[in-house]
Amino acid sequence: MCIMWKDFSAGFIKKNKASSISIVTAAFISALFLSLICSLFYNFWIYEIEQITIDEGSWQGRISGIDESDLSIIKNFSNVEKAEINNTLSTEKTIVADVWFQNIRTVYKDMPLITEKLNLDSTAASYHELLLSRYMVHNPQDNSPPLLMAFFIALLLVVSVSLILIIHNSFAVSMYARLHQFGILSSIGATPGQIFTCLLQEAAMLCILPILTGSLLGIAGSALTIKIINFFAQEIAGRHNAVFQYHPVVFMATIFVSVLTVFISACLPAKKLIKLTPLQALQGTDELHLKKKKHSCLLCRIFGIEGELAANALKAQSKALRTSHLSLTLSFLSFTIMLCFFTLADISTNYTYFERYQDAWDIMVTLKNTDISEFRQGEELRNLPNVRNSLVYQKAIAECSIPETEISDELIHLGGPEAVTDNSINTEKCSYSVKAPIIIIDDKSFEEYCRQLNIVPRLDGSIVLNRIWDSLNSNFRYKKYIPFVKNRQRTITLQNIENTELSADIPVLAYTQDPVTLREEYEDYTLVQFIPLSLWKQVSGVLGHAEPETYIRILGAEEAALSELNELQNEILQTLSPKDNISIENRIQEKISDATMKKGMILIFGALCVLLAAIGLANIFSNTLGFLRQRKREFIRYASIGMSPKSMKKMFAIEVLVIAGRPLAITAPLTIITVGFMITASYLDPMEFLKKAPFIPVLIFFLFVFALVGLAYYIGGSKLLKSDLIDILRNDTMI
Amino acid sequence: MEILKCDCIGKVYGSGANQVRALDKVNLSVEKGEFVAIIGASGSGKSTLLHILGSVEKPTKGKVLVDGIDISSMSRTQAAIFRRRKVGLVYQFYNLIPTLTIQKNILMPLLLDKKKVNQEYFEQIVNSLGISDKLDFLPSQLSGGQQQRAAIARALIYRPALLLADEPTGNLDQKNSKEIIDMLKLSNRNLNQTILLITHDEKIALEADRIITLEDGKIISDRRGRCV
Repeated sequence: MCIMWKDFSAGFIKKNKASSISIVTAAFISALFLSLICSLFYNFWIYEIEQITIDEGSWQGRISGIDESDLSIIKNFSNVEKAEINNTLSTEKTIVADVWFQNIRTVYKDMPLITEKLNLDSTAASYHELLLSRYMVHNPQDNSPPLLMAFFIALLLVVSVSLILIIHNSFAVSMYARLHQFGILSSIGATPGQIFTCLLQEAAMLCILPILTGSLLGIAGSALTIKIINFFAQEIAGRHNAVFQYHPVVFMATIFVSVLTVFISACLPAKKLIKLTPLQALQGTDELHLKKKKHSCLLCRIFGIEGELAANALKAQSKALRTSHLSLTLSFLSFTIMLCFFTLADISTNYTYFERYQDAWDIMVTLKNTDISEFRQGEELRNLPNVRNSLVYQKAIAECSIPETEISDELIHLGGPEAVTDNSINTEKCSYSVKAPIIIIDDKSFEEYCRQLNIVPRLDGSIVLNRIWDSLNSNFRYKKYIPFVKNRQRTITLQNIENTELSADIPVLAYTQDPVTLREEYEDYTLVQFIPLSLWKQVSGVLGHAEPETYIRILGAEEAALSELNELQNEILQTLSPKDNISIENRIQEKISDATMKKGMILIFGALCVLLAAIGLANIFSNTLGFLRQRKREFIRYASIGMSPKSMKKMFAIEVLVIAGRPLAITAPLTIITVGFMITASYLDPMEFLKKAPFIPVLIFFLFVFALVGLAYYIGGSKLLKSDLIDILRNDTMI
Repeated sequence: MEILKCDCIGKVYGSGANQVRALDKVNLSVEKGEFVAIIGASGSGKSTLLHILGSVEKPTKGKVLVDGIDISSMSRTQAAIFRRRKVGLVYQFYNLIPTLTIQKNILMPLLLDKKKVNQEYFEQIVNSLGISDKLDFLPSQLSGGQQQRAAIARALIYRPALLLADEPTGNLDQKNSKEIIDMLKLSNRNLNQTILLITHDEKIALEADRIITLEDGKIISDRRGRCV
């Protein structure tokens, strides 16, 4: 076998660099993909554990209802690494202890033993199930399977099988190019086993280095991806920076999966090849041929006989070009649909967020666990330089009952609330029970709002947002509103949402269709109440149910720039003397961050698409560089019956057009269908999408593929046309 | 009427010590409608001569006139067009395009020239060659004899000035060989087709009007065949 390797395979590899390059590239890209996936998965996994630990702590088990002396008993358990009293959860009466284990896998066995030892009920033990599940430790009583690992294994399997489908062809092309040689070897006594081993040895020799370098570059790629993600996502609130990490086991797993993928890819064609008899192998020719007649009318009609010949040649090469077709089409399709998706998402976000709330806020401050009545710095904020307007508000929820007779004529005309709602309004005896979201506004801002609505400012009543979405005559994207109730009830009875017997009668100061401009999306079929803080203080005892956050909406100078808003943001933070419970957002910064994040995602997905296209292009280069060997006979036939070099070049050009154009031809209708579906589902105006459609990047991607396919054919075709075709004619045995 | 004239043509391959003189001062004249067999041992230069006459190769020296056109100094494109219109080539291994049907293979020279097919002539050829029922097949679906008939049909479709056949029976059994030679003779007689046949088989050569023997790149004899 060594002799076969030395005398046969090594020489072939050296002399047939084109097919070797194709195999090397295929193995390299496979390893790169797999390594990238493994490394990224490992890092996402670590990151998630870190995030869970930051949010919820790193405890694994928790025991409540112990006394301090029990802590030492817990610590004495052999598998317990440490146990600590949780001061936040513990009260004077009940002590709660967090427990960490040496062997995390036995948590669900050890905790019941501990509670038993402490004479506690089994309910005293609780588990950090989210964290434990990330370590693949699952509650034995939980019947749902562990999805995370299953998902990763499924993903890896799908990628590996796809790669096998794609790259086995590179091996097939190289192996079948030597069918005749293997026929000779076989006829002089080489066993199928020897030939099989020889082929796999060759594959191994060609692939060791690319697998190693691909794996290493995959690791580097994942480190880079994490850096990019950190860069683009740095503005996201509540996110911690990811730090790239790696483990030797991940590397071993990567190498194992890569080697297995390449091994199977090499085995498939090798097994097929050794099944041929020596005679079949000797007679076998690597010349392109068709098994059955092909009707290629379209190309024939457009380009004449050259079109038909090109179509037939492509059909005959279909196996060799399968990799290219698959990867180029997939990459082009994913690239186009990804860009269309982001464009649509962009339009949608602008509609529902940035453009919609453009005038509603410049800076938003969220005060967690703060009641609006406790907030005292409203005046200070209002007086800050460059603050055009400042409004403090809190949200609460109540319910109200609307008699049938009070429903507006417009709504009755449509068939009443039942006709336009999604059952979110309950019908009672002759009345409707409607949710009444309450927006509690600081008194000064409420008075301003009154003035804005041309009513006398008062602090003892509610301004009712009297509108309901006419869902019959408009879609959610372009909503049309009609009045909900008649503008005649002078008081409204708000009820506690949990106990409707608790209620408060509130004077209605006005009915309006213009809400206070806030960054708020009000529920569709409700009757929103804007009330001043003074009134809320009176009724909160009855109505309750205020949300824990208080918001401060600040408008800066007209058309303020980012730097101005950043400056204002700092001033606000200084005024509020930063505490843990404050989060602050800046409209322009958020828009920039959103755009940067989208760019980052496009960059990462785009790079994956380019990588996928690289496999296809490598396959095309390997194919065209092998033209001299594969297609010389075909072209000498054309030459012998008088085909001019110009016609031959035309044939190549048609092939380039088909190879590069096919992904476009497949992608275009699929994209139109997908985008059409997305536009319909999101009720967007198609013209709006067309104005922003990513034609230019898609065209650039297409031209990039087109140019490289053209270059591959130019190199291969020139070599073929410049070669002395007559040589073959001279040697009859070759014809 | 003289259809082919070779004026002192020579062909040398390689240089220095490796120089091989394939053809040496070959003078040849063929009249329209003649059936000429060129025989000679392996390496005598007969295939080189045929390639030069078919404009797939250029002579190192001398001039070749086919139908009054000097083909010895043509560019690749001119040579291709000349081959398409003036020469029909038939090879030992048929050289049919495996991806096209027999009909398309036969019509190829016309299709390359975007010329209309003379249906009557096409049918006459395929009928006389006995392949009218094989027109929709791919070459690989036909026997060797049938493929060679298709190759002859292709060579004849443009009514070429010269039909050059290089060992056309070399890959066929005796029965098929005889049929192919009969067909060549038929086309020579019925269509007044000029034919140059290369063979190493004396028996086949005797079927021609004229037999030219080549040895070491030179014509050593030029005699009448049995047919005359």
